[in-house]
Amino acid sequence: MKLLIIEDERELSADIAKYLSDEEYICEFATTYHQAIEKIDTYFYDCILLDITLPDGNGIDILRYLKDLKKQEGVIIISAKDALDDKIRGLQLGADDYLTKPFHLSELAARIFSVIRRKQFDNTNIITQSELRIDLIAKNVFVKEQKIDLTKSEFDLLLFFIGNKNKVISKSILAEHLSGDFADMLDNHDFIYAHIKNLKKKLNNAGGNSYLKTVYGTGYKWEA
Amino acid sequence: MKNLLNKSLRSFVIYALLVLVVSIPFYFFLIDSIWINEIDENNALIAQRTEIELNHLQLDDDELEKSLFLWNKVQPHTQLTKIESNTVKPDSLYSIARQNPYATKKDINRFRGLAKTIKIHNATYLLSVETIIEESEETIWEITKLTFAFYILLIIGFSLLSKLLSDKLWHPFRHTLQQLKSFQLNKQSEIEFQKSNTVEFEELNASLRHLISENIAVFKTQKEFTENASHELQTPLAIIKGKLDLLLQQESITNEQYAIVEEINVVLSKASRINRNLLLLAKMENNQFQKSNSVNISNLATDIEQNLSAYFINKNMEFTTTIESTILIDCNTTLFEVLLNNLLLNTVKHSNEKAQIHLTLTQQGITVSNSGTQALPESKLYKRFASMSKNAANSGLGLAIIKQICEVHGWEIQYAFDTKNHIFSISF
Repeated sequence: MKLLIIEDERELSADIAKYLSDEEYICEFATTYHQAIEKIDTYFYDCILLDITLPDGNGIDILRYLKDLKKQEGVIIISAKDALDDKIRGLQLGADDYLTKPFHLSELAARIFSVIRRKQFDNTNIITQSELRIDLIAKNVFVKEQKIDLTKSEFDLLLFFIGNKNKVISKSILAEHLSGDFADMLDNHDFIYAHIKNLKKKLNNAGGNSYLKTVYGTGYKWEA
Repeated sequence: MKNLLNKSLRSFVIYALLVLVVSIPFYFFLIDSIWINEIDENNALIAQRTEIELNHLQLDDDELEKSLFLWNKVQPHTQLTKIESNTVKPDSLYSIARQNPYATKKDINRFRGLAKTIKIHNATYLLSVETIIEESEETIWEITKLTFAFYILLIIGFSLLSKLLSDKLWHPFRHTLQQLKSFQLNKQSEIEFQKSNTVEFEELNASLRHLISENIAVFKTQKEFTENASHELQTPLAIIKGKLDLLLQQESITNEQYAIVEEINVVLSKASRINRNLLLLAKMENNQFQKSNSVNISNLATDIEQNLSAYFINKNMEFTTTIESTILIDCNTTLFEVLLNNLLLNTVKHSNEKAQIHLTLTQQGITVSNSGTQALPESKLYKRFASMSKNAANSGLGLAIIKQICEVHGWEIQYAFDTKNHIFSISF
């Protein structure tokens, strides 16, 4: 799958690409508004990561351009600006998600994964991995065609892991994913442990393989 | 405290009193001497006329004797007595006080007299003319009365004038003062002072204008600095976060290295939060948040309650709510969420296990209470980074943000400590 990273900070876009490289993603880069427009005109991408502040223009204009061209790319805005109207305007103009810097690469990977899956119109709103089947729209999870009941947090975690296959995800990253802004306001991240334990148990009880491994004591890895 | 004009009025009134009191003896001596002068002149005239007229009459000695007798009888104040020419004394002026012979009760009068030797048909007579003059105590009394009448007139005049002047002269000053009172640095609006034709006031206004615009400029730069600095920090923070994520994926890292990365992650996440909060504060100060009309905050509150209940359960806290349904107020949705989240998470942070937390939301406002042991010092409550518990999960900006959100919406926040409960109440 092809990804376009429109970001003037090369260091950051390089890291994003590096993180995503083991997956089936091919990343291309644009550091300016004009470069981005040129690439959009020439190629098709599955997902575009869009920084709002560019040296020679505004990311919002790129979004408008995409909309005018009726392009179907999934767009995730990655912005240092936490400006609310930017977010609303961006989403109104057809962006699929909005991520404020600084973010974890695993968070970004999970969002990209979801956006791409949601954008595909055939029956791929269903994610399948061996005996595991996840319906993104209905938020249902099946193991060997047996539906298992997951809480919202457990479902979120499962998707996060699926979007970060074979990556080490630390407890603090998961806490931040689940609690957003509040994660660092909490004294400890032990609640993550309970969620993970429940998720593992539910998957195992339904006869699923143990994809979720504990690493380094408090980290996790979805091995597939 | 007295106002300025009343202070000067006091001195004027005292000075006027002094001058007028001192003037009383001067007036008295002046009037008395004029009196005496005039009476002396008058007496001299009478004496002169008497001498001339009697000489013109061509009376013989006998007739003259009789006339003089009659004269002296009828006119006791003008006595003519024959004297020997060798006992002639020089003319003299004198003052005398004696009882009025016609008055029944005691009535001492003051007289001014002239004793003059005149010649009638070669005989020498002593003519004494006496004219009553006003008594000195009566004169002084009258002068005093008049002086005090004028004094009262002066005081009335002074106070009326000072009132008039204070209304008129000080009007520009009062206007300036009013403007200064309503001035708020964070509103960033310049002050309009009234034009005045008084040099001092114009000078004052000019200095104030200068001072204010300087301050506004400095404040603006400072705010912009905060906003820009926070913005600029976001990208480096993002890069650090990304690098840490990449580091975690290295095959060769040890458990210790993983633990270090995780510790950095926690601190980094705190740094990002402080940065985001500073940015939020700066944006609120720069009025970058729009209010929406009739937001259903009951729904927002219920959502937040559900989102947060896990944290309360996790810390074994008893979280209860009283939320009125369909409360509609004009506010910024995001800011309202931040407000409520911060208020509630504050209680999670600062309460011990098994604490009781209650949220009340009504049309009038929000009240959040949580059990605690001692009251918080109110002076430091809303200050940035003044937080007392130095635990790692504290950004020190929570209450500052709450306060700022209240200010943006014109709400009032109050803190009270009552029967072992911290109570924060916000009234819309």
